[in-house]
Amino acid sequence: MTPFLLAGIGGLMTELAGMLNIALEGLILIGAFFSVIFAASTGSLFLGILLGIMMTVFISWIFGAVTLYLKANVFITGLATNLLAGGLTTVLSFHLFGTKGVLMFQDLPSLPSLKIPALHGIPVLGDILLGHNILVYLGWLIVVLAWILIYRTPFGFRLRGTGSNPAAMTALGLKPQNYQMAGILISGFTCGLAGAVLTLNLGAYVPNISSGRGWIALVVIYLGGKTPFGILGAAFIFGLAESFSNYAQGFMNIPADFILAFPYIITVAAMVVMSIVQHRKVE
Amino acid sequence: MLVLRTILKGKHVKIKRSGIYVSAASLAITLAAAFIVMLVMIFIMSETPRDTIYFFFAGPFTNNYYLGNMLNSTIPLILTGLGISFAFRSSMFNLGGEGQVYAGGLAATAVCLAMPAAAGVVGISTAIIAAVVTGGVIAGMSGFFKMKWRTDELISSFLISNALIYIVDNFITGFLDDPENNLLTTKKIAEQFWFKKIFLPSNLDISIFFIVIIAVLAYFYLFRTHQGYEMRMCGLNPEFARYGGINVGRYMVLPMMLSGGFHGLAGAVSVLGTSHQCFKGFSGGMGWNGIAVALIARNNPVAVIPAALFFAYLEAGAKSAMINADITIEIASIVQSVVFFLITAQAIYNFVKYGRKGA
Repeated sequence: MTPFLLAGIGGLMTELAGMLNIALEGLILIGAFFSVIFAASTGSLFLGILLGIMMTVFISWIFGAVTLYLKANVFITGLATNLLAGGLTTVLSFHLFGTKGVLMFQDLPSLPSLKIPALHGIPVLGDILLGHNILVYLGWLIVVLAWILIYRTPFGFRLRGTGSNPAAMTALGLKPQNYQMAGILISGFTCGLAGAVLTLNLGAYVPNISSGRGWIALVVIYLGGKTPFGILGAAFIFGLAESFSNYAQGFMNIPADFILAFPYIITVAAMVVMSIVQHRKVE
Repeated sequence: MLVLRTILKGKHVKIKRSGIYVSAASLAITLAAAFIVMLVMIFIMSETPRDTIYFFFAGPFTNNYYLGNMLNSTIPLILTGLGISFAFRSSMFNLGGEGQVYAGGLAATAVCLAMPAAAGVVGISTAIIAAVVTGGVIAGMSGFFKMKWRTDELISSFLISNALIYIVDNFITGFLDDPENNLLTTKKIAEQFWFKKIFLPSNLDISIFFIVIIAVLAYFYLFRTHQGYEMRMCGLNPEFARYGGINVGRYMVLPMMLSGGFHGLAGAVSVLGTSHQCFKGFSGGMGWNGIAVALIARNNPVAVIPAALFFAYLEAGAKSAMINADITIEIASIVQSVVFFLITAQAIYNFVKYGRKGA
């Protein structure tokens, strides 16, 4: 669930600034690729995550600069970012490692996880709250930070103002573009982290490892009512659906292709149901 | 003197240039940027950059086989480009092209496999209709959700298409799998259903003539009929269109269905004309390329033809460089992303039009 959560929080920032960020998918992929590559080459998880995030923020800056300063269509530049991510990771993988397939890293340090033996005895709650790796807790921390940023700081007010009334922002002498750019860079940061969660957990890079998570995150934002804690809840549900489909593969005789299609079907269904509910409310 | 200086500085006198010139020049800037990025990448990645560049640019013209195959790959590109143009013209985003082409191809294959070989032309027509309907229904769903409940068609079309890709995969490797080999393909369709080849030894087939006619007809539909006018009006300004008494909801579903229909047709044409079977992932990239083609053509159905040719050239060049030199074909998708980044950039357009940035 952590990748959905992180990408969702990032997407929320641009969503509040009035932009639907379809580049999340590509940004996750960039983060996933570069964090594992840098972690393996430096031998340090921290440096790997840091450099991976920096790379993702850089790509999101390109996306933002073209969209905002060259005034391009945000959907098309979002697609461009996704295409660039797919192309760049494959070309670099081929150029550096001579393969377009899975990249395995044997001596990659594993992510430290939080273990408090005394509390592990608590049923259900202990399993849900404890024993995860540090990035999961970082994700939860980011939800809280995002909430504070959005609702308790001037920056947050201005970010939301950019989305709801850009003309008022201009009248106040503020530049809406600056806040949109900030939103995009934050989404670069969180997506970089989301990618790092994917590959560092696995200790390997699989081509197209983001596999639609950025798109599902867009729906998670809507399902979460465009609030950080709502996104936490929605990401939890999608995380459950994901683990269920992995689990179901084990004991039910469902072809693997249907398991792969399942997250998309669930997401479309959730999206349509939600828009029906909202439509009813408006009427 | 002062007047002259202001003219030279261009402060008050803005040079306004005509529409078509501006479009062409800003397109040229975008494509030039894409080629520069490509050259830089080749110099970084390739051990033998001179050979690589030669194969990239000249490769598609070195023999009839390459040339014919390049022309052949424009056929589905024109169709997907038309499909996207219809959606874009009415301000609808169809990001599900990949799945629609794939499902269309599967539908055409399934019909051909179910029919006796003697059915000939009837079989071909049925297969094409099946593919068009399949694509149309898939994309039409997103349009319908949008009309009914304001569900974002951009996200829904993408998600539906991605789910379908896996389901089609399952049909290809399961139900319709060819048991005689271990490849991930369906059985070959009967030879009576194949399109006639016109440029041997390449795969170029007779459908290219029909496709060009379809593009011209699409132009007339969009710019010379009442329905086309209403469709464009809904794209330009839906509020104004509604005020003018146009049924706006209808133009959320219809363009999406047309768009999906064109994608389905692209799938059918690739199967009947080129591959004669459905293999796993055969639609790879066709949907995205259709978006690129429509953008370069600025959603003009006739301009889609040269735009598709350009894209086919880019892909053929990358393929030739991959076979003969030492780069991978994905370099083409980086070049493509540069085109995507810059093609809608209003700042470039204004720069050409007024000679100054951000005017």
